[in-house]
Formats: sequence, structure tokens, C-alpha cells
Amino acid sequence: MDMRTYLPRFAAIALAGASLLAVTSAQAKEITVWCWDPNFNVAIMKEAGARYTKSHPDVTFNIVDFAKADVEQKLQTGLSSGTADALPDIVLIEDYGAQKYLQSFPGAFAPLSGTVDYSGFAPYKVELMTLNGQVYGMPFDSGVTGLYYRKDYLEQAGFKPEDMQDLTWDRFIEIGQQVEAKTGKKMMGLDPTDAGLVRIIMQSAGQWYFDKEGNTNITGNAALKAALETVGKIMSANIYKPAAGWSDWVGTFTSGDVATVITGVWITGTVKAQPDQSGKWGVAPIPALSIDGATHASNLGGSSWYVLESSAEKAEAIEFLNAVYAKDVDFYQTILQDRGAVGSLLAARGGAAYGEADAFFGGEKVWQNFSDWLAKVPSVNYGIFTNEADTAVTAQLPALSQGTPVDEVLKAIDAEVSAQVQ
Amino acid sequence: MALAHRGGIGRYYNINGWLFVAPALGLIALFMIYPILWSLWMSFQSGRGMMLKFAGFANIVRLWNDPVFIKALTNTMTYFVVQVPIMILLALILASLLNNPRLVGRGFFRTAIFLPCVTSLVAYSVLFKGMFALDGIVNSTLEAVGIIASPIPWLTHPFWAKVLVIIAITWRWTGYNMIFYLAAMQNIDKSIYEVARIDGVPAWARFTHITIPLLKPVILFTTVISTIGTIQLFDEVYNLTEGKGGPSNATLTLSLYIYNLTFRFMPNFGYAATVSYVIVVLVALLASLQFFAARERDR
Repeated sequence: MDMRTYLPRFAAIALAGASLLAVTSAQAKEITVWCWDPNFNVAIMKEAGARYTKSHPDVTFNIVDFAKADVEQKLQTGLSSGTADALPDIVLIEDYGAQKYLQSFPGAFAPLSGTVDYSGFAPYKVELMTLNGQVYGMPFDSGVTGLYYRKDYLEQAGFKPEDMQDLTWDRFIEIGQQVEAKTGKKMMGLDPTDAGLVRIIMQSAGQWYFDKEGNTNITGNAALKAALETVGKIMSANIYKPAAGWSDWVGTFTSGDVATVITGVWITGTVKAQPDQSGKWGVAPIPALSIDGATHASNLGGSSWYVLESSAEKAEAIEFLNAVYAKDVDFYQTILQDRGAVGSLLAARGGAAYGEADAFFGGEKVWQNFSDWLAKVPSVNYGIFTNEADTAVTAQLPALSQGTPVDEVLKAIDAEVSAQVQ
Repeated sequence: MALAHRGGIGRYYNINGWLFVAPALGLIALFMIYPILWSLWMSFQSGRGMMLKFAGFANIVRLWNDPVFIKALTNTMTYFVVQVPIMILLALILASLLNNPRLVGRGFFRTAIFLPCVTSLVAYSVLFKGMFALDGIVNSTLEAVGIIASPIPWLTHPFWAKVLVIIAITWRWTGYNMIFYLAAMQNIDKSIYEVARIDGVPAWARFTHITIPLLKPVILFTTVISTIGTIQLFDEVYNLTEGKGGPSNATLTLSLYIYNLTFRFMPNFGYAATVSYVIVVLVALLASLQFFAARERDR
């Protein structure tokens, strides 16, 4: 059989099929996005999508809401498999993991250097997504931290908002003991399988699990040592309500069982999702350690949008991100007020919303405060093994609560991390 | 249609026979043998994500120096050593009780004990997580009855978390093993028991000297199957601990560690493949040990 006689016919059929596909996709472009917090980035992406659809009626958005761990694992599975069929067009990646994906899956993400003007964003954010001179991804939110506290509970315990400003951790624990004695409420929720609090305290003193060169920095890390000591004190003072898992932890404050929450600004949307608690919350800077370099500012999480190189709608997805996230200052005002998203687009900081008082927080100018604290967050190198180090830290938290000396705990963490990092 | 060459060497050259099994063989080769060989090759490589490089025996050296792997291995062996004997014994006792023809409601009990086995692994794990929460139904019941004074931290204490996993898998799999024993017991000739009774052999001795020896092949089979299942344990631990194997890695299993190495940590497929071969070797060793222990000594 001579294939050549058949080839043109096959080609014609194939072409017809391809053009049919092209026609359908030109009529309706659907951009699929994966993200994880229905009160936060999911809602924000819906808002961004709605804004873009107004000017581009042919583009629709399919925003898929997973748990964060599921987004990460599904993404990693998809990238490892080498086929991109199951992957979305845009995915949200937490800053801690960005370099891991960029370095392990070269060519999987679309570089945006030529399109996006990165000079308009906070430099630390851009640095997190730079590899070999190329910048990948669209910087999104910052995880600047704050101490959210229930004014009503603290007042019952005899503390005014002035008493909550610029605390030390020791003072925070003292207050916690008095709050429990007077109101019966625990000071905070704590999930012993989540090292978030350790990370917050550690970064507030300018250190991380890794140094600037990316080498492990555990045994000689004064900030990590102090952070572990602090968490140990919180546990032995028993001023916390134990939580098993994220949703359980969120439940500790949405239910009104605890007096404070120490976490990233992105939790604001979840705090404000309880309208009956309006006016009862205040926000103060987080407590500080008593070591060199200690500050009242830190960061937890924060994430950015990445476009998959294999995406069928790559060009449209990049155009969309650039139009909304890099240029629309008004968009940032809306997501700030509605969701508590402190974006990393510098121009957005000049917007009106940042200067406004928030009724939910009793008329405090919380956004201005967060914006000020953001400028003070010590910059650290997250490296590419934060998940491994986190697992090692959580593995030692029970030992810590049972009174094992911190130096031994540090040695155990170091041994585990060193075996994992290679 | 009679075959021209029945038996003998000609049978192996019958093209039609090979054609019939070819599709199945092809699929097995593609989806079973090729991945197994490829994973063996992968276990000699190391690197981040898709950047794999040949590393020789580096992964095997890494196993010895990896405290998390040692922990996962110890946990897995603990589950195996504690859980499999408890479950096998429990299944035997239940089977012999339910084999009693005079027992009222036999069908109901059999179904009730077998039922956990048809539930989804994920569904029951999630259910157990709720039941064994700090303020869950198990703790409140135990407190109400007065067995414990303060709630047991099932999910947050390293020891109790292990106990919880063992309770969960025992609940899920005992009925499954029991069904094998029941079936085998019904194949034992009733006249043997009759003779024993006439000779005045007490019930306990009938169980240990007649039932158990006659069930030996089935006991061996279930022990091997349970060993393999326990050493590959994944779903329960993943769902009870949100994929972390916590608290303090106390419930981490080898399979969960492989999962973490591949999907949660900096992906290192080579090292993960090495750990999975540890499971292969373990299962092969333990199974041959069990065959050896259960061999026929009299002949």
C-alpha cells in the first residue's frame, strides 16, 4: 500500500479537525485556575475574572477550589507525569514552594519577564519567583502578620487595646494566663502538627531554616531556638486550645473559643466572615522576641499566580493576569477592603482604601498598619526545602512540650533536615 | 475441534494459543513489567524533580542515614508485629464462634462483622477521625462509662495515634480474614469433630488440635496477605493525619513516606523508588519466612 496517496486525505481530515477546534476555542476561551481559600484567593480570583470578562466577553473562568495541600500535590503529580492534560492554565503557589517547582520542573512555567513590568512590585516578591534571570509568575499577596485579638475578652480580663501594642512573648503568655483565669477562654488556637507559629516567630527575628546561600541553618540559629522556646512556653503554660488540622484551627476563633489569632493578614476575610463578631476584634503588631534583630513584623505564607507553559490559553492567561494584577489599582482597593488582601503591587498602596478605617475592627485603620508592618518584615531566603524542615520541626514539637531541652530538639531537627536536604 | 498435537512440546508452539494470550501478555508487559523494571532503574538515580542523574548506590547509602526512613520502617514493623497476630487470632475466634450451627442470629453477626470490609478506606478513616477526636464520641462514651477520667488524645499523642491506627485497621480487616476461616471450617468433615466428641475431647482442644491444624493453609494465606497489606499501609494513616504521619512521625509508614518524597517534599523519584524496593524486599522476606515456619515437618 502506498501511503503517499492517502497522506493528503489524512492531512485534510486532520486539518479540518484542528480548524474546527480552533474555531470553537476562538468563540469561548475558558481559563482554568486552581487556588485554595474560598474566603480569600478564590473569591479574589472570581472578582478578577469578572473584571476581565467585562472587557473580554469571550473569556470565561473556571476557578477550582481545593485545599492548599491538594493543589500542591495535584500540581506536583501532574508536572511529574510529564503530561499537562490534567493541569490548569493558572495555578496559585505559596511563596515557600515557588523555587522548588521552578527548579525541579524547568520549562513547566511560562516566564513573564517580557510582558510584566516587575519594577512596580515589592522586590522581595519578585526575587522569590526569579530563576536564572527569568521571572515567572504574577506576584499576588503578602502574608504580613498581625495579632488579632478579641477586645471584649481582653477587656473582661482587664486589658485595654493600648496594653496589646508591642508586646514581648513573655508578656503575651502572662496576659494569656490572666485571660483564662478571668474569662475561661484560651489565649489562642494551636495545631501541634503545623509549624506556622515557629516560622512567624523565627522570621520576625530575621532568620530562616536556611541562610542566604541556602545552607541549612538550624543548630546555630538563635531565632529558631528562641521561637521553639516560646512555643514550648506557650504549651507548658497551657494557654492554647489544641486543634487537629487547619479547619479545626480556624474553628477555634470563628467559634469564639479563643481570645487571639496570630497569623498572616490573609486570615482577615475569614475573621470578617463572622458578622456577629463585628466590632469585637482589634489588630496589633505581633509580640517580639528578646534577642538581637527581633522585630514586631513577620510574614506567613503569601502566594503568587503562575501560568503553565503547556496551557492552551497561555497567551490569554498572561494577558489577563497582566491587565488585572499588574495594572488595576482599583481592583486592589476592592480586594483589600472585602478580603484583606495586601497585594504586592506598590502603586496599590497609594489607593484610598489603605487609609480607611474598618468598622469590623472598631474603626481602626488596620490597612495602614499592615502596610507599615509590611515594610518592616525582615527579608529571608525561603530556600527550596521548607516543607522538609517544617516536617522535622513538627516532629519535635511533642518532645518540646514534654520538656526536652531546646538544644537537643534543635539537634534532632538538624539531623532530620540534613538527611532530607540532598 | 481436536488439536493436532495434544500435550508434548508441540503445545508450546501452537500459534493460536499464543495469539489468544498475546493481548493480555502485551498489556501486562506494558503496564506491569515495564514500570517495575523502570522503577528499579530509577532507584539508582537521584535528583530534584525531572533533573534525575545516575547515582549508583547513593540512595541505598542514604537509607541508612535517614532518621525519617528508620522511623517509618520501625512504625511499619510495629504495626505488623502488633496488629497482624491480634487480627488473625480475633478472626479465628470469631469464625469458630459463628460456625456454631446452634448460634441464633448467625447470619446477622456474620454480615455485621464482614461489613467494615466493604466500606471505603477513605470514608471509614475520616469517620474514625471524627469519632476519636478529643471531644468525639469515643472519648465521651469512655468518660460517661467511667473508664477514663480525662479524654485520650487519640490523634495528637504519638502512642495513642499508633493505637488508633491499629484499632482502625483491625476493625476494617478482621471480618475479611474471618470469611476465609469460615469457608475453610465448613469444609472440615463434621465426622472428625463427632469422633473427637465421642472420645471426650474438650471444646478447646478440638479447636487447637483439629480446627487450627486443618486450617493451616488458609491461616498461612491470610497471614501473608495481611503482612503485605500492613506493610503497604497508606490510606488510613494518610486520612487520619492529613497526610503527615504525625504526631511526631509516630504513625508514618513506608508507603506514606514514599508519597511524601514524591508529592509533598522536593520531589526525588529516585530515592522514593529505592524506599519502595525496601517494601518489596520486606514483603518477600516475611512471606518466605512464613512459608518456612508453616512447612510440613512430618514428611
